[in-house]
Amino acid sequence: MANPASKRLFKEYRGLSSDPPEGITAGPVTEDDMFLWEALIQGPEGTPFEGGIFPAELKFPKDYPLAPPTMRFTCEMWHPNVYQNGTVCISILHPPGDDPNHYEHASERWSPIQSVEKILISVMSMLAEPNDESPANVDAARMWRERRKEYERIVRENVRKGLGL
Amino acid sequence: MSKLHTVEDPTDWLNTSLSSFEPLEAALRCQVCKEFYDTPMITTCSHTFCSLCIRRCFNSDGKCPTCRASDQADKLRRNWVVQELVDTFKAARPAALKLAQAKAGTEDEETERAKRKRKLDQTDIEEDDIGETRRPRRTRRSRSAVDGISQEEPIEVDDSGDEDYDPEEGTTLCPICKSRMKVGLVYAHLDQCDGKPVNNNGAGRSRVQPSKPKEPPPSAARLPQFNYSLLKDNALKKKLQDLGIAAHGSRALLIRRHTEWVNLWNSNCDSTRPKTKRELLRELDTWERSQGAGASTVPSAVMRKDFDGQGWAASNKDQFEELIANARRNRTRKEAKVEKTGEKPSEAQTDSTPTQQPEPAPSIEALVRQDEISKPYEGNEEALSIVREKVEETNTHGRRLRSSGQPIPERPRDDEVPMRTDEGTSLDGGVEANPPISSQHQSPQFVPISPNVDMSRKAHMFRLPEDPIVDTDGGRSVS
Repeated sequence: MANPASKRLFKEYRGLSSDPPEGITAGPVTEDDMFLWEALIQGPEGTPFEGGIFPAELKFPKDYPLAPPTMRFTCEMWHPNVYQNGTVCISILHPPGDDPNHYEHASERWSPIQSVEKILISVMSMLAEPNDESPANVDAARMWRERRKEYERIVRENVRKGLGL
Repeated sequence: MSKLHTVEDPTDWLNTSLSSFEPLEAALRCQVCKEFYDTPMITTCSHTFCSLCIRRCFNSDGKCPTCRASDQADKLRRNWVVQELVDTFKAARPAALKLAQAKAGTEDEETERAKRKRKLDQTDIEEDDIGETRRPRRTRRSRSAVDGISQEEPIEVDDSGDEDYDPEEGTTLCPICKSRMKVGLVYAHLDQCDGKPVNNNGAGRSRVQPSKPKEPPPSAARLPQFNYSLLKDNALKKKLQDLGIAAHGSRALLIRRHTEWVNLWNSNCDSTRPKTKRELLRELDTWERSQGAGASTVPSAVMRKDFDGQGWAASNKDQFEELIANARRNRTRKEAKVEKTGEKPSEAQTDSTPTQQPEPAPSIEALVRQDEISKPYEGNEEALSIVREKVEETNTHGRRLRSSGQPIPERPRDDEVPMRTDEGTSLDGGVEANPPISSQHQSPQFVPISPNVDMSRKAHMFRLPEDPIVDTDGGRSVS
């Protein structure tokens, strides 16, 4: 607990557990290791993700919050900004130094004043509004653009699968 | 979970009668470390952070974390007002929180008001205990600062300070420099007291003056950041040694360690309550363990005592099974090879006595040993004839069983079989064991690769030892 990273993560955990944002639950897998978290995100209402609960894991670097964590959905996720292996690709998770896609504004990127809460809220809004400018899953992005009905059907199917229905 | 609530957090104010204090407290905390500001510094873009936090951020990318304007550590300036706000708020926090939590449950506003008054009176003493002692003037000023922010809840937590506020309560004098300080701080102070009066309990503004010349360690000048690319390894090591910090490790580690040390040192220079060099070295050590050289040697999760082995086995079942299957396949192939080479000299193969030996294919050494063991049977004609009989029976029996599978070419030379080992005497068991062996024989594990291997396959079924024995020993004995 002595190092700044786990101290800060513990603070965030404390804040999230006493005042969780709506539709979001997050915390370390064990309190002994602050660098691996589990999170549950509710599908935003009014989207095909509605009704779903999406588990994800967050891995934090040792120099957090100077560097951002990585986030990976541990369930099936058909979304333009989520890689096939579940890794989430949004600007808030990218350090300002490297911009592999050359489209993100520096202001949207990771900064030490961002937090787990802000990441999860961003991811929630990403579910509602995919960004197809630089898709992580090209097939899903094309489907989202061209065959929205089919895209929504797959998403709903995954929601049902995730709930064990 | 119990550990969780020992940490102070702005959310403590939620569900109390002072829930509006939550944003107030959040505003008094550094956005980077989420702690109350420690030595707040203001950037040229007018954002405030702890000295150490912002220095680390600048090292990382040279930008303000809030607005991403480029900035430099040497342009940072102290933000005294924030320091004062934080100090007074921290002092008032415990009593205020207690009050707010106590009130949260009750409904009746009138009795509530009366209670509040009483509670206030009771908490006065405690509050003075906890808070830093200040002159009344300062107390009033900081109070007004808190007041302005929390207008909708006009509870004045240190209101009664005017009536019976005793600035010297809970404090004592340092026997050396005669400075007044909290009782609990005297011993820590004595360690570094140099006889000159400490000014952090002096009049309002004097505390604000940098106390560098008096308190910090001798060479309290800020350290410059090096241009590392101009420094050779040895020069860099020398610099680290001169600073009194560890000089081992790779060049990258040396640079990171020096950077961290400069951050620790310079932020300590900013502080009104500087730490000793020893404390700073301890902090560097903490850093070293979490992010420096120590971080890489932390054992992986698998090595930990409380590692969930079963969970791991379950989650990686597929991989493990694949590895096991691979290993089996390789072993089978190897066995086949060994048998093949073992057979070659004999040219012929026998369906020797069925035995079921659990051990894997024997090595050359094992063959030699078997050879020695088999010798005692050489002269025993009776035993040999029984063995031959049984072998014959087994052969026909085995072929019949195998008829559905691949036909096994007949090998007439079973007269050599008697060179069997001690198992030859317990043939009954062997014969009985034959059918299962035959069926096992057809399992995909033993799929023949070539006719040659097919033979070796048979040899495998009856255990290899016999073949070379038959060959070498028999040949020798016959001649």
